[in-house]
Amino acid sequence: MPKPIAPPAVDRVYTLNLGPQHPSTHGVLRVLLDLDGEFIVKADPVLGYGHRGHEKMGENRTYKQFMPNTSRMDYLSGLLFNHGFALAVEKFAGIDVPLRAKYIRTICAELNRISSHLLWFGTYVMDLGGFTPFLYAFDDRENILDILDRVTGSRLTYSYCRFGGVCQDVDETFLEMTKTFIDRLRSRFSDYHNLVTKNIIFIHRTRNVGVIHPEQARQFGVTGPNLRACGIPFDVRKMEPYELYDQFDFEIPTGTNGDALDRYNVRLEEMEQSCRIIEQALARMPKGGGYLNRSVSSRLTPPKGEVYFAFESARGLTAYYLVSDGSPHPYRCHIRVPSFSNLHVLVDVLRGTMVADAISILGSIDVVIPEIDR
Amino acid sequence: MGYWKEIVEGGWSLVEGMRVTVRRLWRPVVTVQYPRKQLNLSPAYRGHIELRLFADTGTHKCIACGACQRACPSHVIRVQGIKPHMKSPKKATHYFIDFSRCSLCGLCVETCPTQTLQYSREYELEGDSRWSSVVDLIARQEQSRS
Ligand code: SF4
Ligand code: SF4
Repeated sequence: MPKPIAPPAVDRVYTLNLGPQHPSTHGVLRVLLDLDGEFIVKADPVLGYGHRGHEKMGENRTYKQFMPNTSRMDYLSGLLFNHGFALAVEKFAGIDVPLRAKYIRTICAELNRISSHLLWFGTYVMDLGGFTPFLYAFDDRENILDILDRVTGSRLTYSYCRFGGVCQDVDETFLEMTKTFIDRLRSRFSDYHNLVTKNIIFIHRTRNVGVIHPEQARQFGVTGPNLRACGIPFDVRKMEPYELYDQFDFEIPTGTNGDALDRYNVRLEEMEQSCRIIEQALARMPKGGGYLNRSVSSRLTPPKGEVYFAFESARGLTAYYLVSDGSPHPYRCHIRVPSFSNLHVLVDVLRGTMVADAISILGSIDVVIPEIDR
Repeated sequence: MGYWKEIVEGGWSLVEGMRVTVRRLWRPVVTVQYPRKQLNLSPAYRGHIELRLFADTGTHKCIACGACQRACPSHVIRVQGIKPHMKSPKKATHYFIDFSRCSLCGLCVETCPTQTLQYSREYELEGDSRWSSVVDLIARQEQSRS
């Protein structure tokens, strides 16, 4: 637990507005910091600048029409959100998915996870003052975007999954490009380690900075790489396997201290694990069998009732909760997003740290603001 | 001891990092000088929607059924059509889209019963007002044919 610091004399505290247009908050996040000199006495995140009402939108359109919205919540891992929504509705309405489609979705989802982690890697190091790794990470990420662009037709907001499959089949070139990319990414890791992981400045700015204790993480509902960095091996892909994840051999990287350095290491290791999943999927993918179950009606009406479906997005446990009253529109559509819980642990973690570390901690937690505001 | 060791190791890590940077200076360039050189578009690229020109009829096949209009989540499409004769099928006369609201989700393309919709391959679009994004696809097609 963070050690409590003595409450300062009131007249010495002043309030600093971090954001909403601060370059290192990656989106419109505002954090009200009460400062005593360089030390943070109280941090108060203010949300809602990017609110678009996605949950409400879900209630006034059909299930199929909500699909494009899902990739606009967490725009860095849009395909994972697409995938999760498709899985949730498939579970709800009992739709079968061809095996090939499952493999395609898994490969694309893991590629998207890598691209999200790469972007985080680049921007986080840039927050700490290193500009060069950012360019290398974006170079790699650009490769993934090219690969995904080839099959989905877009670079960020994919809308690729459909209930019962995906909207386009993949071709040999896609598989070839994916294989080449994985080899390329593996060869780049050593550069990343030489450039960033071993860098003494980086280590000093992240080691023992922003320590999240497992108990704290549990209280706030922190999930994803942030939780795994505290040493708790929780990953929905292993705990409640969905899609094909129970058939792949991969590990859950964990940290020990729960500091920013551990979160960094966990994410880097996760990219390698995603590569392993993709390789296995590429090897086992059936040649034929169709990529879409065409019997799904466009005005899909799931039976009366409710469904809760959790999956692992790039930032942690994400879930859709849908209630149907037997009409083609969901009666209620709620989305549990990981960044919301991950951000609020800051209230505890930031207390007693220095302002300069606040940037490092905020970056290491990897929040995506539109996902929180949704 | 730990202090000096850290200084030496830290200094070495900076040299290592610098080596990566210098080596990368001579690697092949990864950027493209955009307006002068252009990359190939992906085969699946999604531009705004447009009506396909069928070789057998020399025109589109839109029957103004309105399926795309109903499928669109963002109310982008407004299609109008007439029946030239009592017994002949309906034919579209106007097909308006407001591209500024389109999310390029592809639901309209997938819904069309006559496969008359497709994605265009235009990506250099500009306009001076919101109305520039409202186009009548049928008028546009007529124009490009004449
Ligand atoms: S692509 Fe989607 S948003 Fe755009 S016109 Fe078609 S259905 Fe509407
Ligand atoms: S669905 Fe196809 S045929 Fe029907 S109105 Fe739209 S473009 Fe025309």
